[in-house]
Amino acid sequence: MRVLLIEDEQRLGENIVAALREVGLAVDHAQDGEAGSHLAEQGVYDAIVLDLMLPRKTGQRVLHDLRQNKIHTPVLILTAQEGKESIIELLNAGADDYLGKPFDLGELLARVKALIRRAKGVSTPVLVVSDVELNTVNQTVTRRGNSIELSPTEYRILEYLLHRPRAVVSKQELLEHLYDFDWEHHSNVIEAHVSNLRRKLSFAGSEPLIETLRHRGYRLCGEGSR
Amino acid sequence: MKRSVSITRRLVITVLIMELASAIALIGIVTVHEWRVRMKAFDATIAGTTQSLMGAVQDAEDEADNVMLDLTGVQLGNHAIYRVVDEGKRVLGAEGTLPADTPVSSPGFHNLRVRGRTYRFLVFRGIRVIDPGKVSGGVRHNVEIVYGVPAGRVWHEVLESTRFFVISTVALLGITALVMAWLVRKGLAPVYDLAREAEQINSSEWQFEAPEEAKSTVELRPLATALESAVARLQRSFEQQRRFTNDAAHELKTDVAIVKSSLQLLSMRKRTPEEYSQGLALSLDDFTRLEMTVQKLLTLARLEQPMERNSLKESLSCALSDVLDEAVYQSKPLAELKATEVTVDSEKNVRVAIDNHDALLLCSNILLNAIQHCRDGGHVRIALLGDDQAARLTIQDDGEGIAEEDIPHVFEPFYRGDASRSRKSGGTGLGLSICKAICNRAGGSIEIANHRAGGVLVTVFLPILSLQPEPTLSGSIKAR
Repeated sequence: MRVLLIEDEQRLGENIVAALREVGLAVDHAQDGEAGSHLAEQGVYDAIVLDLMLPRKTGQRVLHDLRQNKIHTPVLILTAQEGKESIIELLNAGADDYLGKPFDLGELLARVKALIRRAKGVSTPVLVVSDVELNTVNQTVTRRGNSIELSPTEYRILEYLLHRPRAVVSKQELLEHLYDFDWEHHSNVIEAHVSNLRRKLSFAGSEPLIETLRHRGYRLCGEGSR
Repeated sequence: MKRSVSITRRLVITVLIMELASAIALIGIVTVHEWRVRMKAFDATIAGTTQSLMGAVQDAEDEADNVMLDLTGVQLGNHAIYRVVDEGKRVLGAEGTLPADTPVSSPGFHNLRVRGRTYRFLVFRGIRVIDPGKVSGGVRHNVEIVYGVPAGRVWHEVLESTRFFVISTVALLGITALVMAWLVRKGLAPVYDLAREAEQINSSEWQFEAPEEAKSTVELRPLATALESAVARLQRSFEQQRRFTNDAAHELKTDVAIVKSSLQLLSMRKRTPEEYSQGLALSLDDFTRLEMTVQKLLTLARLEQPMERNSLKESLSCALSDVLDEAVYQSKPLAELKATEVTVDSEKNVRVAIDNHDALLLCSNILLNAIQHCRDGGHVRIALLGDDQAARLTIQDDGEGIAEEDIPHVFEPFYRGDASRSRKSGGTGLGLSICKAICNRAGGSIEIANHRAGGVLVTVFLPILSLQPEPTLSGSIKAR
């Protein structure tokens, strides 16, 4: 999952980026409203954390333009401004959540994850498809009760696919949502990771979970229950 | 409690007193006039009756051609006293007793007292000719008539009409008072409207527009406009205060958020000792910044407090050139980092009435700002001049200058023209506000402008304490 952070305060931004990355999210950091707006409008993010007091373009404007452009990425507002009115105004303008500074980093992470989950139509932190279970809190994966060790990238690919069962997910989409600009990446990398993932998930007698569709991408098969 | 004063009551009472005074004057005039008219009429009546008495002097039809008084058809006044005497001192007719002091020798009207009453007497001498048809031309008789009636009647009549005047005046006064009170109250309605409107003002509701009626009333217009502008001024300063509080809260919250997030990030999972020590160092930096923000806020708060006493102000004194040298010395590390040359051209013994610490704060704030905004390897020029009234300190950098639209705002607390250059460069947005507060406190001023040659020129004017004429000393400190 890829998150965009728009925050002009450098040290705070650094900390949030580090924390989001620690929980396995790809993060891009924009330091002003204009750059943030540009990045957000690419539509590749699964959530946006938005500060309000920004140079060049205020957070309110960024949010407004985003919704105007029919981009429905969930937005969490981060601000030190006071007042219930502004909260109501922001929520009415299309914000999905609100966190006042100084906030708890753990709370911010939980809220961002919840926003991503909700936006994908999942309400619990445990994703279940067929006999595979993925716990987004502990970042653990089990199949038929057997714990499976995955590398961070493999975990993220599986998490993304589990969020979209039975949908065809292209390599491009995976690249866009799993890597931020700071990472060197290439579509071959995805192929390698997916093949590793497939290997780790296969048991004797188990059905293949990830299906490859030539030139189209990947698909998670099996019955999903949420 | 002080006795309250009512304009309505004052007005009504004033008008009533004026009215009463003129009524009294009028009554006086009318009474005198009335008295004179009535007196004339009275005198005419007396004269008429006296003539009738004269006419009543008839031929006695005797040998001596004497005269007698025949009162048939003669109307005499009530309580009239008269006496008709002929030349032979023979009383032809009389009624009542003439007072002894009747000046019979002088004809005309006389006021005399008879038994406690004032009488008006007419002494009249006439000639009565008996048998004028005779050849001898008749007999002439010198007749003297004294006739008097009580004058009290006239006074009574005059008083009667005066009383009528007095009663109608009192009635009029009463009606006037009522009408006046009502009219004045009605006339003062705009005042009450204005008061009602003014009552609506409170710290959250700053809308105040004087009612049209108050503004179109000549007497109320100054009050209405004064109120309007006072409210507007108050609103502005309230707004400023509120904005400052909001900004300060924002700033503090942000700094706290940084510290908190740094520590929380560190504790998210177990880390290596190197990671811990690095994280702690970062957290300490973050904390130092929070501390700086708090310190600057407190400094600003202290500077914006009014000085307790003028005497204290007089006891303050510092040599600006020494302070400048100290500021330059302190800024050396930053200047070295940016390879900036700092030159000072200062007059010695320019003393200003500022606390030494504040003066240093002022100088180093401006200087650090200048060095920060200088291009690398640039040049900051400081000049200090003093005449017999003011010290003029200029600090000029050779950076990019300042956006024209930012110039009016740079002294506002937390103002950041371009946020990317302030927070990152370590500023809190309070430095220039503190400078302005220091200057204001000392009765001086500070200005910022773009220099023709490029870069920012900050000019500080401070009222001077003393300037001993001494040769100008130039010093140049190279920080390289």
